[in-house]
Amino acid sequence: MKDIVIPAAVVRREIIIWLCCFVAANIVNWVVIIKFATPWYEIFSQIGYVTITSFVFYGLLLMLRAAWWLLSRVFKK
Amino acid sequence: MNRKEFLSDCGKMGMAGVALSLFPWLESCTEKAKQEVHGEKARIGIIGTGSRGVFHIKNLLQLQQAEVVALCDNYRPHLDDAAQYYPKAKLYEDYRQLLDDKNVQGVIIATPLYLHGRMTIDAMNAGKSVFCEKSMAFTLDEALEVYNRRKELGSVLFIGQQRLFDPKYVKAMSMIHEGVIGDVVGVRNYWYRNNDWRREVPSPELERHINWRLYREYSRGLMTELACHQLQNGSWAMGMLPEKVMGSGSLIHWNKVDKRDVYDCVTAIFTYPNGVNMTFESIISNKHFGMGEQILGSKGTIDLVTGMHYTDEPMPKGSGMHQLVEQIERGVMSNSVFAGTSWAAETGSTAPGMPIMPNVKVVTGESSVGAEADGSKELVDAFLHAVITGKQPEKVLEESYYATQFALLADKAMHENAILTLEDKYRVPYVPLGSR
Repeated sequence: MKDIVIPAAVVRREIIIWLCCFVAANIVNWVVIIKFATPWYEIFSQIGYVTITSFVFYGLLLMLRAAWWLLSRVFKK
Repeated sequence: MNRKEFLSDCGKMGMAGVALSLFPWLESCTEKAKQEVHGEKARIGIIGTGSRGVFHIKNLLQLQQAEVVALCDNYRPHLDDAAQYYPKAKLYEDYRQLLDDKNVQGVIIATPLYLHGRMTIDAMNAGKSVFCEKSMAFTLDEALEVYNRRKELGSVLFIGQQRLFDPKYVKAMSMIHEGVIGDVVGVRNYWYRNNDWRREVPSPELERHINWRLYREYSRGLMTELACHQLQNGSWAMGMLPEKVMGSGSLIHWNKVDKRDVYDCVTAIFTYPNGVNMTFESIISNKHFGMGEQILGSKGTIDLVTGMHYTDEPMPKGSGMHQLVEQIERGVMSNSVFAGTSWAAETGSTAPGMPIMPNVKVVTGESSVGAEADGSKELVDAFLHAVITGKQPEKVLEESYYATQFALLADKAMHENAILTLEDKYRVPYVPLGSR
């Protein structure tokens, strides 16, 4: 069986993408704190939900990227 | 449940002291009161050893202060059944002979309603302490006569209103008096069963003797047998008495099966001076909703039967992230009809509610005899204490008196098709339960 090798550059790129998602999820948290007038300590207390949300964003982005990759392959042919 | 368990329950509620100041009849349940009668026995005679009489006997067997020395019933099979529990007790077929028995200190009367008043007065005249099953009497005048005679003699007189000794009722009423549910804005009582309310009759000539509940000559039916228990809820919760009473009753189902003449379907409305209504409804040909007693307040509801508290206050909304998720869910799940109705059914709240105390013991109300943990044993225990000490607990009798009077008044309103008020001559001094 062949080892799957993920290049360091890919890992770095994916971590950066996820960090962007995490920042975006935090921004969403700040927005809803303002919108629903809930306490500011939710920036910290809701960190679990924010993290989950960041993975949701990452997953959505992954699907978009996969779709983009598939389409670009089709058009290249 | 013994006194200790009762007070332990009260203690768990964090209310023993509060309850005693609000509801002084519970004094007899304290450790101090127990010490007062330690090692002493109340010598009791039971008049009426049918199903309810035997229910009391079974409770008495578990109470340290009880010694049943005499039993009386004019129906021999019932008397013999009861004698099995207390083989040494003297047996009588005439209650007057039992009252002549000097060994008897107190009597428990569990006979048909039409006998309550006469037997209670005779027993008090004979110098006995009396526990009489509810309702207190058969007519408004008779109830007043009983009340006045007790006042003249200073006797101990208890009526079988066991909710006054049920920990969950005590706790619930304390909460209501503390304002937990805001202003009381309504009181709902109902009691539904689906059975014929009959006892087995070994021979046709005994029909009226055994099934006395079904005949107006001996009973006032659902009002005196069931409503009487629930009607005290409004007064207890609001600290006042109803101003007017109206009602409607009819025979709709069981008259097709037998020749009863008491209603099998009743609804009564009791209006209090502050305008709040208390309702009582009973149907005994449908049991879907069972028994219910609910105090409705401006901030919430307490269900006395289940011991649950439901708030009308908006629930905490949760974090911003939760609210966002809920908003998205609502958006996804919302009905997208474009020409739908502008009206939506106002269905009841599905909020789960909070138990008012740990280990609430729920009584279904299905039994016509009595149930475990409904306060009956504590009530009888308090009676034994009173028999030994000769002290009548405060307020209890007045509450029972008015429960009877308003049950009878509602029955009268149904039969006269009228809105009635309790005449002044029937009004006795009333110190509301829960007032300090």
